[in-house]
Amino acid sequence: MNLISFIGAIELGLVYSLLAFGTYISFRILNVADLTVDGSFVLGAAVSAVYVVNDKPAAGLVMAIAAGTIAGVVTAVLQTKAGIQPILSGILTMTGLYSVNLMVMDGKANIPLLNRTSIFTYAEAVYDGKAYKIFALLIIIALVFAILNWFFRTQLGLSIRAAGDNEDMCRASSIDTDFIKIVGFALSNGIVALSGALVAQMQQSADVNMGTGMVVISFASIIIGGVIIKNKTITLGLFSVIIGSVIYRFIIALILTTSFPPSYLKLISALVVITALSVPKIKRRRGISKLRKGRV
Amino acid sequence: MLKIESVNKVFNKNTLDSHLSLNNLNLTISEGEFVTIIGGNGAGKSTLFNVISGTLPCDSGTIKLDGQDITYMPEYKRASYIGRIFQDPMKGTAPNLTVGENLIIAYMRSVKKNILKMPSKKEKNYIKDHLAALNLGLEDRINTKIGLLSGGQRQAVTLVMATLVKPKLLLLDEHTASLDPISAESVLKLTDKIVHENNITTLMITHNISSALMLGTRTIMMDSGNIVIDIEGHEREGLSVQDVLQKFNKVKNKEFDDDNVLL
Repeated sequence: MNLISFIGAIELGLVYSLLAFGTYISFRILNVADLTVDGSFVLGAAVSAVYVVNDKPAAGLVMAIAAGTIAGVVTAVLQTKAGIQPILSGILTMTGLYSVNLMVMDGKANIPLLNRTSIFTYAEAVYDGKAYKIFALLIIIALVFAILNWFFRTQLGLSIRAAGDNEDMCRASSIDTDFIKIVGFALSNGIVALSGALVAQMQQSADVNMGTGMVVISFASIIIGGVIIKNKTITLGLFSVIIGSVIYRFIIALILTTSFPPSYLKLISALVVITALSVPKIKRRRGISKLRKGRV
Repeated sequence: MLKIESVNKVFNKNTLDSHLSLNNLNLTISEGEFVTIIGGNGAGKSTLFNVISGTLPCDSGTIKLDGQDITYMPEYKRASYIGRIFQDPMKGTAPNLTVGENLIIAYMRSVKKNILKMPSKKEKNYIKDHLAALNLGLEDRINTKIGLLSGGQRQAVTLVMATLVKPKLLLLDEHTASLDPISAESVLKLTDKIVHENNITTLMITHNISSALMLGTRTIMMDSGNIVIDIEGHEREGLSVQDVLQKFNKVKNKEFDDDNVLL
């Protein structure tokens, strides 16, 4: 692996760790695999791209967060107020978002942002060196990390964690679980959209199909992070997500140096998640069958 | 304090499985009373609790708590006045949160004002003191995930959670039924102590007739969605389990005399 692909892997790992922050909230804290992510990621990218075209990259990030938040609210309302199953609510919003994203992008499937001013252009002006993107990303991640780390200790944040853990207990403690879920999904998808917005500015294009498989990629990061850092408090949990995301990108970069065609990437992501999620169960079964054999 | 007037609840209305769970039930409980509720399976005890706490809406009738009509108030809103403990120790606590965090969530019922506030040192100490009062050594395990505690310990913490902020009404739904005899005994003692010290109006469902008679100030027996026996004060003192069963049989027989059994 050369220096460029090394830096590239860290850049991607960092920018996608925001995506994983978002899904960490829905998947680990609210205990729902939220498929809205595939759509809200692109929504963030699309909104940010439109703003970059108009020379307002920073405003693009803010508006992307706002748009993602709305997408999260839609999913949560479908779940709580309309009583639609959690997974299906996400799928419905994601499907609807495909059209919304095309609308945002003015009917075009792709917005190229070559030679446009992005927030990374600002970073390049401030930070002298090859790692200027990493510099910019680290600042943003540190900010999001600090906000989330604080938020999940407040009364509202604690309520969100409790709602994902035991809804009955929450209602018995006079917490409006519907409202709590709406806040949780809004926050989650807002951060996912921020990740999409940054990816668009970093890769200098937004594409209506760039969201495919984002849920799986973020799960892979969360799971890899979870293997490395166990016994999680919320701080360690969030931190593990960053580590997991960067390691995931290194794995991908290593695979790309072999003769595997890049089109295999999504399959590999899926396999990573399948392996990580099924290992505990398989281990237990093997343990039992070993015990059984030992008795005979 | 609590006034339940002609409350009805029918399950599977207008079907062949239609079942009248609460039949024009009336019950008035005054402040500070500790009422134990007994009755067979399907008598309507848990439905009564579900209707009071708002888990189920009642079909008709009114429920008033402290003069306020709460009949159709959403469950989570009532929960700020009503503490409830379930039979299943897993149901009352969030397993992946620490003991302290669980208690803080229970404490928040009273201080809803600022949702972006962190729990203060004072609040943490308040919680710690209440835990220490259990004499289970849990105050030293405040940062332990509550899922790692035993059922008895969890139920004891749930009890603290339900009473941390004095509720207007405490509902105990067979809260010791899934504990071993020794833990059950100690949780019951604890219940009695907490209810007594804070003078909390309490309703407790139990299948153990002797503890129903031993604890509390009044005992009611339910059958087919109604209250068939209601004893308190002098009449209740010195009553044995046998007496209660006899009373129940008497009521049952009378029912058979009155109604057309074939119908």
